[in-house]
Amino acid sequence: MVERRVEVVARLKALEDAAAPLVSFLQNPNAVQELRADKQYNLQMLNDRYQIGPDQIEALYQYAKFQFECGNYSGAADYLYQYRALCSNSERSLSALWGKLAAEILMQNWDIALEELNRLKEIIDSKSFSSPLNQVQSRIWLMHWSLFIFFNHDNGRTQIIDLFNQDKYLNAIQTSAPHLLRYLATAFIVNKRRRPQFKEFIKVIQQDQCSYKDPITEFLACVYVNYEFDGAQKKMKECEEVILNDPFLGKRVEEGNFSTVPLKDEFLENARLFIFETYCRIHQRIDMGVLFEKLNLNYEEGERWIVNLIRNSKLDAKIDSETGTVVMEPNRLNVYEQLIDHTKALQGRTYKLVSQLLEHAQAQPAR
Amino acid sequence: MASKFWTQGGSDTEEEETDIEDEIENGGAGETTAAAAGSRYLQTNASDSDDSDGQKRVVRSAKDKRFEEMASTVDQMKNAMKINDWVSLQESFDKINKQLEKVMRVTESDRVPNLYIKCLVMLEDFLAEALANKEAKKKMSSSNHKALNAMKQKLKKNNKQYEELINKYRENPESEEEKFEDEDEDEDEDESGSELEDPSQIAAESSDEDDEGEDVDDDDADGAWEKKLSKKEKLMDREFKKDPSEITWDTVNKKFKEVVAARGRKGTGKFEQVEQLTFLTKVAKTPAQKLEILFSVISAQFDVNPGLSGHMPINVWKKCVQNMLVILDILVQYPNIVVDDMVEPDENETQKGADYDGTIRVWGNLVAFLERIDNEFFKSLQCIDPHTREYVERLRDEPLFLVLAQNVQEYLERIGDLKSAAKVALRRVELVYYKPQEVYDAMRQLAVLSEDGEKDGDETKVEETRGTSAFVVTPELVSRKLTFPENSRALMDILVTLIYKSGDERTKARAMLCDIYHHALFDEFSIARDLLLMSHLQDTIQHMDVSTQILFNRAMAQVGLCAFRVGLIAEGHGCLSELYSGGRVKELLAQGVSQSRYHEKTPEQERLERRRQMPYHMHINLELLEAVHLICAMLLEVPNMAANSLDAKRKVISKTFRRLLEVSERQPFTGPPENVRDHVMAATRALCKGDFQKAFDVINSLDVWKLLRNRESVLEMLKAKIKEEALRTYLFTYCFSYDTLGLDQLTKMFDLSDAQIHSIVSKMLVNEELHASWDQPTRCIIFHDVEYSRLQALAFQLTEKLSILAESNERAVEARFGGGGLDLPLRRRDNQEYAAGTAGGGGGRWPDLSYNQGRQGSSGRAAYTGGGRPLALGQASRDRSSQSRGTGGYSGRAGSGMRGYQMDASARMVSLSRGVRG
Repeated sequence: MVERRVEVVARLKALEDAAAPLVSFLQNPNAVQELRADKQYNLQMLNDRYQIGPDQIEALYQYAKFQFECGNYSGAADYLYQYRALCSNSERSLSALWGKLAAEILMQNWDIALEELNRLKEIIDSKSFSSPLNQVQSRIWLMHWSLFIFFNHDNGRTQIIDLFNQDKYLNAIQTSAPHLLRYLATAFIVNKRRRPQFKEFIKVIQQDQCSYKDPITEFLACVYVNYEFDGAQKKMKECEEVILNDPFLGKRVEEGNFSTVPLKDEFLENARLFIFETYCRIHQRIDMGVLFEKLNLNYEEGERWIVNLIRNSKLDAKIDSETGTVVMEPNRLNVYEQLIDHTKALQGRTYKLVSQLLEHAQAQPAR
Repeated sequence: MASKFWTQGGSDTEEEETDIEDEIENGGAGETTAAAAGSRYLQTNASDSDDSDGQKRVVRSAKDKRFEEMASTVDQMKNAMKINDWVSLQESFDKINKQLEKVMRVTESDRVPNLYIKCLVMLEDFLAEALANKEAKKKMSSSNHKALNAMKQKLKKNNKQYEELINKYRENPESEEEKFEDEDEDEDEDESGSELEDPSQIAAESSDEDDEGEDVDDDDADGAWEKKLSKKEKLMDREFKKDPSEITWDTVNKKFKEVVAARGRKGTGKFEQVEQLTFLTKVAKTPAQKLEILFSVISAQFDVNPGLSGHMPINVWKKCVQNMLVILDILVQYPNIVVDDMVEPDENETQKGADYDGTIRVWGNLVAFLERIDNEFFKSLQCIDPHTREYVERLRDEPLFLVLAQNVQEYLERIGDLKSAAKVALRRVELVYYKPQEVYDAMRQLAVLSEDGEKDGDETKVEETRGTSAFVVTPELVSRKLTFPENSRALMDILVTLIYKSGDERTKARAMLCDIYHHALFDEFSIARDLLLMSHLQDTIQHMDVSTQILFNRAMAQVGLCAFRVGLIAEGHGCLSELYSGGRVKELLAQGVSQSRYHEKTPEQERLERRRQMPYHMHINLELLEAVHLICAMLLEVPNMAANSLDAKRKVISKTFRRLLEVSERQPFTGPPENVRDHVMAATRALCKGDFQKAFDVINSLDVWKLLRNRESVLEMLKAKIKEEALRTYLFTYCFSYDTLGLDQLTKMFDLSDAQIHSIVSKMLVNEELHASWDQPTRCIIFHDVEYSRLQALAFQLTEKLSILAESNERAVEARFGGGGLDLPLRRRDNQEYAAGTAGGGGGRWPDLSYNQGRQGSSGRAAYTGGGRPLALGQASRDRSSQSRGTGGYSGRAGSGMRGYQMDASARMVSLSRGVRG
């Protein structure tokens, strides 16, 4: 241990010395102000005036890396930021960015981390990798790291859908890391506004059922593929377990003496809603007792829940309290409404077509 | 028989001639008359005995008689020589040969009588003399001259057999004859020093001689040749034992060059050449030389193959494999020898001995040889009637080849030639991929069993090599044993990984297809599907060679079967429908030649097609395939027809199935089902009525199911599916007649659990296939009245037509201005085309489900029922496949656009048939 320490300290010294000129330069605010947006110019200037060449810049990178390994994440993040400003090697710059992201995550600066994440994502998407495999792998790494951010950031649950549900990333998940589907599924359940993408996602789940299974995805499959509501209810209980045991999903919030898992409650609430919604779509009359059993609610609670739903006009139904049933209003569309729906789009399309034609027609005489 | 007859006739005429001769001679030399007369007597006697040969005589007297006969003939010959009468000489020679046979038979020994040898020597000398005497030759009459030439050849050929004895005779005998011999050497190059220098030279002579005396030999069967040659060989061996030191590298090399030069020349005996070369391998001085000669041996062995369509004789094939193994032995023993077919090696490269340090280059191409051997194996299986024992015997040779391939591959890997190793690996893959685990196990057992037998064979072979050649002994370094992993999957994985890493494009594609096939065989549908999609083979298969296309079709068929076995009906149908759309399954799978009504094939095409055929043991059972295809189509199509009963033309999933159904409905009487098709049609009729039990019984009675490994579970699955579809059909058909329908009633009717029915019905409700809803407290389905008025229905039709119009307009514009013209999202455009395709019925661009659409999970189906639903999933996995290509190990071409991905069924068929025609 002691030897190791000596070794480490020695290495630190060496690296510090190597990077010293640049570090001292960077610590001088006046000097830093001289830097401009033009990278080429900066390098030139550093070289001319401070005798800081590529070697020193390289040393800075090593130094930052070492700092990171020693646990001094803020230092590492700073140095890496500076390094990126000066570095000309895109490969190195990329790994610096990864380092920065790691450092920010470890420091729990979620906002900055998110920024870095987006930057990294852009680079990964635009950069031409030597092999597609590499690209897929780095995407997967990115997604894994992003889990830290998304489940801690306030707005993360929407963003995780945005990121994961892009075709490219979804493909990567499907091929190489199907376990990430769990997080995406959870995010979808918790997030109500993403309906169109949700349908596609259901199909993905259906397709990947053979390669990955998880109570959460199975729950979705039960509700939306097989329409097995009893099964869904069982899965919901399993999901609870899973969420509590998952490092990302089961994040605890300490409030006084209670530790709650906010996501769990949210999840259950939404899952219930999912079941109920689907259930209502195909039923005309539902016995409330049976329904609440399916939803894991007691009668009182359930009735209040339904009344709320009806009041918020989320549900087009009435309660028949004498027989204890919910009666759905038939919500079939009027035939004429359907007709209008069908034809509405046509007009727009034709219009677009004509304008397209005209554009071309005009372009041709001009030629 | 004919020859016997002829010779008898010959002896008759001869008799007469000798009479004439005698008369002539009587004038000159009176003393011979007695002998001649005697001979005549004897001759007649001889022919007598010839006739009555069947009756056993006392041996002793016969023996004496024979000798006497011979002596008299020799005397005749002497006389003929004196007067330079070649015609009679020739006849006497024939006669003496016949007599010799008899003598040998009688004495029951293989020792040739001295008398005969003496005669031969005499003849030879006289011949040489006559040839030397050019002037005399000129003076000869034409018949005489001809006879002289014929005699020359015959004698030479004949003497070869007795070379040694002649030599012996010449060694001890009268001095005057040696004088002649010297002359011999001057005159006749071929003959020169054959007995002194190099016995293998004799072989050369024989081959040269073959050129001239072909007509004589032609009648000789191959067997006779071999016999004769082996005799000769023995002779050569004996020579060698006598003086091994005399054989030098040079002599062997010279001889080798000579033999090789004779290759391909008209009349060069192919078998004979092989034998000669084989002999040369035994006397080769250096390992490199032995290697070089062995390579030629193998090429010569390939030459034995009579024609393009025929296959190599099996025993030659086996020898060929053994030779390859010996080559490997040498290569392993002397790692400094490099085999190369690019560089023309130095003439004397092979002179370098075993102790030479540097690399020795030898011309040769292991992979090419190996592939050729494999091809021959394949061809022989094509040719042999699969129902005979011979076929099975031939199949047993497979481990032999696998051993060789394994060793070659190991060697190539060791020397780092991974590209070639990949090629070899592919050959191995192609022998393994179609084998289910049981067959694989059987093969392994066979390999183990035959090991013992093989060992014996090997040992004797080694002994033989050692016995004859002390120069280059090649110990068996390469194992003759097949090392198999327990599981064929494991073997496939090893090989395929190697190929993906270092194979070329075609090798990789083929390996990929084999891999897919194998996965499908083992019921791993999702893996097979992913591989198929990731490899993008569907786009590129049109540009590949025909045999790869066949492999692709086979893989597709197998994937379809696999999908069916695991219960993915829609996917199975997607895979198979294409295969059946043209009605040329046999041709597409290369499992028999299909007759086409419309165009006759030229013999050339037919031959090509025949050459492509799969050997019988690799066939995919066509009945099973048809059954699976039709059942899949039935399960999809029957509810579909029920759902659109009013508008039958609208959505057609399987055109083939529809057509068959029409045909069967047109029949006035329907008899009991006989073939697969009838069965499925009968089942369809039952299913249309919702009678699942009858439908299942009919299908269950098919006897192709016994071909399935997990028959029970498959039939179980099938029954469940039939029930499900029967339920759906029933609901579609009779929903108009019911207002409510109890769950209990349905469970009773269809023998399904509540939960299942609930799930199925719910699915239909959600997909808006059925206008109804559940009433939970009473557990029944309440149907809604969704009758449209006529006006409304017409209005709907109008809107639909409008949207089709709009779409076609859009497409027209798009085609005119290019894809980027419209800023419609790509996905939507695709979707529209698809919708148009389905809505347009037969006229659409994709008349029925093309494979990839059908296979995207049940989304394909959902998209159907939903009408305008986005096909996003299909697209997603398409992109996915373009990216994750690398993970499959197959990093082929750059991701092609999604349009390219759409595999146009008809295009592929056309390209294949183009291959047929071209």
